[in-house]
Amino acid sequence: MPPIKIPSRKEVIQREKSSGKDVAAIYPIHYPRELFRAFDVHPVEVWGPPGVDTKMGSAHLQSYICSVVQSGLSFYLEGGLKEVKLILVPHCCDSLQGLGSIFKDFVKPGQEVLTLYIPRGITEESVRFLSDEIEKLYKSLARVTGRAPARERLMEEILLEEETDALVKDFYAGRKKTPLSSREFYAIIRAREYLPPRDYARLLQIAPRQSPESGPPGRVGIIVSGLLPEPMEILDVIDEAGGFVVADDLACCMRRVYGKGAAENPFKRMAERIVQGPPDSTKGGSVDEISVSLTGLTEATGARGVIFYNVKFCEPEDFYRPMLKKRLQNKGIKTLTLEADINQPLSQQAITRVRAFIEMLKGEA
Amino acid sequence: MGLVNQIKYLTLYKIIGTAVISRQTRKSLRHYRLPRGWREDILAPPLRIGAYTQQMIAKHYLEGRYVNGVKPVAWVTSGAPIEILKALGYYILYPENHGALCGARKVAQEISEEAERDGYSIDICSYARTDIGTALSGKTPVGKLPKPDLLLCCTNICQTVLYWYRVLADYYEVPLIVIDTPFVYEEANDHDIKYVKRQLESSIEVSEGIAGRSLNFKRLKEVVRASKDAADLWLQCLKANRRKPAPISVFDQFIHMAPIVEKRGDPETVDFYARMLAEINRRVENGVGAVKHERKRVLWDNLPIWYRIRFLSESLAEHGVAVVASTYTNAWGELAPLMDVERPVESMAKTYTYPILNRGTGHKLRTMESMIKAYSLNGAILHSDRSCKPYSIGQMDQRLKLLNERGIPALLLEADHNDPRAFAGEQAVSRLKAFVEMMEA
Ligand code: SF4
Ligand code: SF4
Repeated sequence: MPPIKIPSRKEVIQREKSSGKDVAAIYPIHYPRELFRAFDVHPVEVWGPPGVDTKMGSAHLQSYICSVVQSGLSFYLEGGLKEVKLILVPHCCDSLQGLGSIFKDFVKPGQEVLTLYIPRGITEESVRFLSDEIEKLYKSLARVTGRAPARERLMEEILLEEETDALVKDFYAGRKKTPLSSREFYAIIRAREYLPPRDYARLLQIAPRQSPESGPPGRVGIIVSGLLPEPMEILDVIDEAGGFVVADDLACCMRRVYGKGAAENPFKRMAERIVQGPPDSTKGGSVDEISVSLTGLTEATGARGVIFYNVKFCEPEDFYRPMLKKRLQNKGIKTLTLEADINQPLSQQAITRVRAFIEMLKGEA
Repeated sequence: MGLVNQIKYLTLYKIIGTAVISRQTRKSLRHYRLPRGWREDILAPPLRIGAYTQQMIAKHYLEGRYVNGVKPVAWVTSGAPIEILKALGYYILYPENHGALCGARKVAQEISEEAERDGYSIDICSYARTDIGTALSGKTPVGKLPKPDLLLCCTNICQTVLYWYRVLADYYEVPLIVIDTPFVYEEANDHDIKYVKRQLESSIEVSEGIAGRSLNFKRLKEVVRASKDAADLWLQCLKANRRKPAPISVFDQFIHMAPIVEKRGDPETVDFYARMLAEINRRVENGVGAVKHERKRVLWDNLPIWYRIRFLSESLAEHGVAVVASTYTNAWGELAPLMDVERPVESMAKTYTYPILNRGTGHKLRTMESMIKAYSLNGAILHSDRSCKPYSIGQMDQRLKLLNERGIPALLLEADHNDPRAFAGEQAVSRLKAFVEMMEA
């Protein structure tokens, strides 16, 4: 099968800019993509990126701050965001809160830095608050861009995102039958971080879906849980060891496949989608909510093991993990915890542990 | 069961326990003795009010041992709006204060290891590890902690508390009230305050349900009044340090802040701080400084290093350095003016949205700068607390700004507020020495 050509971030940014659009750099995790699009602002997400020299960021951040934030700041400081018109730092954890604050108070980029507070918990109150917060973001975008998209335009973009979410869900649902390696599958999933929705939908359409010889005979279904699958090498290691990533519980992937909103008011609808979306440690849901979702995912996909792929110093994940492990183990699901720094290659020890983990699962089959 | 608990509470806490603790307090005041090994050559004696601080803490934890089944029990975060619970008659426990106590008594590591053995990462806040360790093992230096009937978590100090309280809610299987306070990068928006207010309002019903009684707004106002008065007196105690020499050190403040955190809203806390202020004023009148031969005055930023308070106090006092102001102790007083007794819920929404930890890194720098000016300080020690990311993030820029733009020597001291494994004593001493030299240069 010929590999699918996915345009790079750089290519997409150039193309969007030359078509007259502004580009916004978006830090993790939750935000309404559709709002930016309605302003003709193309959102490109900055998950690290991995492999950045974090020396520049370390002049502002202590070593016990996670590598996602270290890289995110370093990337800006070394000129990686020169092309963007504005920066959004959603408030998803204490470290991102600090990043947003350091940007605003000390680094003071030439571009506007906007923030978005994501409320904790799923309540009517949190929807109402986030709706107000998104409306505030609307006003900031209007100020920065000089545009003021009408309700219809907002709804148009919301519906497009909802459609895209449905396509992504569908793509996940067919995962077991795709002939794609785990790395290829996640390259496609993650291309949503920077592709416009129509291009992304096209990519999902051309991605191979069915293959008689695909699927996992003899392969062990694995779920990867955490913030992001970086370094992505882990996916290769899983496949090489005889595993197969059947689904994920990753903040940058499945935890952001939101459902449809119900409200007629566009701000409220965007808020509903985020608040009522899949559980995520950074949204501070109950242990039950998160564990029911994760154990449900293992049951639905037939996964036999869960790998917690944890970014070192990521507190939101660190708190929930012990409880989640217990719940999974009670259901007979084996777990493995790996600690990663998105700027460091996967250690030999980690590789050996993944191999041993999958061997063990195979042995039990 | 209820009756047995009532009888135990009455006899073992109310009658016998309280009498024994009060007698001990009177005895220690009558036969006042310096703590063992106290460096009289460099430090003034500890405040005599310390006997009452100990009494209040001892009574609080003793009550906790017998309170289940007698009063509703709430575990709350340190910045939580407790006035509603107080007005409803709850016994309130602060796991962070308990963590600090474990740290000061040097048992936090052992208890944290219980949590670590259960899978909790060494990278999470050491208060949380201590607390979870206590929940799992029952280990505590205070004998026994009461089980919660309700948890109240306010995110105005960090998000960490939310995940931590989710773990507790799961473990104890009790309701959790979350008061989510949007972070204030610059100024709070109207919708932020309204959001907090709505959450406070809806928390009333849950709290009433567990307490089995309705909130009396007259009582709520009394509690808010007591909170405000105590915070105001606390602030006056701190402000006394604008005088030279400073009558109390920040290390004293760390010890005497326990009531303003865990006994806020009680009339006895107001009395306590009135007495403390009187004692401090006597020191001012007599020209007594906490550090004998005070030569340099510095600021402390971030949490205390609970297990090394005395060590740090002596290491600095040896050089005539008095630590006289702290962003941390100041946080418990600076919001007192925002509390409005006549509009308790509205004003609580605002007050509890604005603590320093819920505000931007620039605001913290400005707070430090104004304290440096108001307290005539020569330098700043920024405790870079591995466990407390929200307080520590930004310190590297804040330090450089103080140093380069204000000419204030500033030291970044790496440690952890409760976990001694993250503290290198010898290295700290040599860094403090270099810092003192820098101030003297
Ligand atoms: S990895 Fe964890 S700590 Fe770091 S930015 Fe993401 S959620 Fe926050
Ligand atoms: S992270 Fe900091 S603010 Fe939060 S509980 Fe720990 S010490 Fe307190």
